[in-house]
Amino acid sequence: MIRVDELSKSYGKNMVLSGISLEFTKGRIYGIVGENGAGKTTLFKCIAGLEPCEGVVTSDLTPLKNNLGLLLTEPFFFSKITGKEYIRLLCNARKKENVDIDARNIFELPLNQYASTYSTGMKKKLALTAILLQENEYFILDEPFNGVDIQSNLVLTEVILKLKDLGKTVLVSSHIFSTLADICDEIYLLKKGAPIKAVQKDGFKDLEREMKAGTIGNKIDQLKLK
Amino acid sequence: MTNRKMKDAGVEPLLGYLLGLVGFVLVSEYIFQKSEFAKYFVILASLSVLFRLTDKNRINFLRSTFGDKVKNRIRLFENAILCLPFIAVLLSHSFFTESAALFLASMVLALVSFESNASFTIPTPFSKRPFEFAVGFRKSLAIILMSYAIMPISIRVDNLNLGIFSMALITFVALNFYTKPEPKYYVWAHASSPRTFVINKVLVASAHLSILVAPVFITLLAFFPTQFDVILFYSGLSFLFLWTIILAKYSAFPREIGLSEGIIIAMSIYFSPLLVALIPYFYIKSINKLKPLLDDSSR
Repeated sequence: MIRVDELSKSYGKNMVLSGISLEFTKGRIYGIVGENGAGKTTLFKCIAGLEPCEGVVTSDLTPLKNNLGLLLTEPFFFSKITGKEYIRLLCNARKKENVDIDARNIFELPLNQYASTYSTGMKKKLALTAILLQENEYFILDEPFNGVDIQSNLVLTEVILKLKDLGKTVLVSSHIFSTLADICDEIYLLKKGAPIKAVQKDGFKDLEREMKAGTIGNKIDQLKLK
Repeated sequence: MTNRKMKDAGVEPLLGYLLGLVGFVLVSEYIFQKSEFAKYFVILASLSVLFRLTDKNRINFLRSTFGDKVKNRIRLFENAILCLPFIAVLLSHSFFTESAALFLASMVLALVSFESNASFTIPTPFSKRPFEFAVGFRKSLAIILMSYAIMPISIRVDNLNLGIFSMALITFVALNFYTKPEPKYYVWAHASSPRTFVINKVLVASAHLSILVAPVFITLLAFFPTQFDVILFYSGLSFLFLWTIILAKYSAFPREIGLSEGIIIAMSIYFSPLLVALIPYFYIKSINKLKPLLDDSSR
């Protein structure tokens, strides 16, 4: 369980998150959707403790950060570090020192090559593999499907569902609504730094329709395509 | 970029450049006083700076932005500017041939670019405990090999100073691995208290530096056994500087080591007992700086 109480974050006068209170329970997958700049990434970083913010974040396992696998939208890799060394670095950081990395390389990454030479999708798969091998209890995945090929997306979906089966708490953001609808138990719609709607599985279709109507409106007509 | 970094650190660029120049002159004079092979150090330092500008991506950017002709002019100009202080130091000590050779080399380097072979991974003894030494070793392999090459010369000419210089150069390269802060994520990811994190960094770095300097240290002990106290003193000093730079890095985290910290560290090169005060000072500062990221109870 992760509980977020009155979480706020601002950059100067720009309020990015305003008084967010949410609860994420064990064995469930939560989707976070919203426009670019709605505050998804900031919310994730604040929950993780990677960004300073106001409010309280509590969890049943403490400290939260030591049990949390965080996949950033654009993971950073040093220029001369191999894929295997990156995974080893993150596993060592969580005191998981004897992990058989080669045997658990489910995305078949060229682990002996420099990670900086990987494609966007490969980098994401590498970062994901690392946090999976850390054996965390909570996962925050910021746009995990972006840039990843269709085959790996299928594997990724199954991995996330497996995490749920194992009783882990998973928070996922994505701009691909259909994928989120397939895996999530609950979806929060974020707008201007605040959740404006929490929808359970049976309401996903309505949410998608609502978002579509609200976002598209008459914008296509405005283009006057001929 | 350098101007912006100085402004971010709250230093007027003009003052920064002036202080940098004074520091450069003082350090070079010190080296010339201490070693008869100082000219090689100056040449190596100059070449290592010039090599940094030959990165293929950088050259391609200049070429695509300005075209070949202007790119060549920019590269010749920046290399000339960069090697000027080194040439001035060499000239002030009457090394005319070396100055001319360095200038020529800088002009040649202005017209070439180097690309590391991405498909070839340089093996490293530091792979088990990434990342600083693993990354740094690969990036600085050429200068590390050059440093090792100085050691047999020191034995051949029976000059311990030169051997010590080889060890100092390796240490200097290793210190360089810790000058830039890593992204916050790489600190946050650790399930450690700030104290454990910092101590672990220091221990791993010490073990890795031992591996790097061991060939020089053992050879010097074998060939200059009567001066083991000098060898031990300088190797001990290497570790003290390593600890200082690591702690200084985290005392400024997530920003880079500032000018004020840099000046204090530079002063300790002249007056090494200063390190005894600097290490605990930077240690306490780094613990406080890392608390928000590593100490969950501080949230």
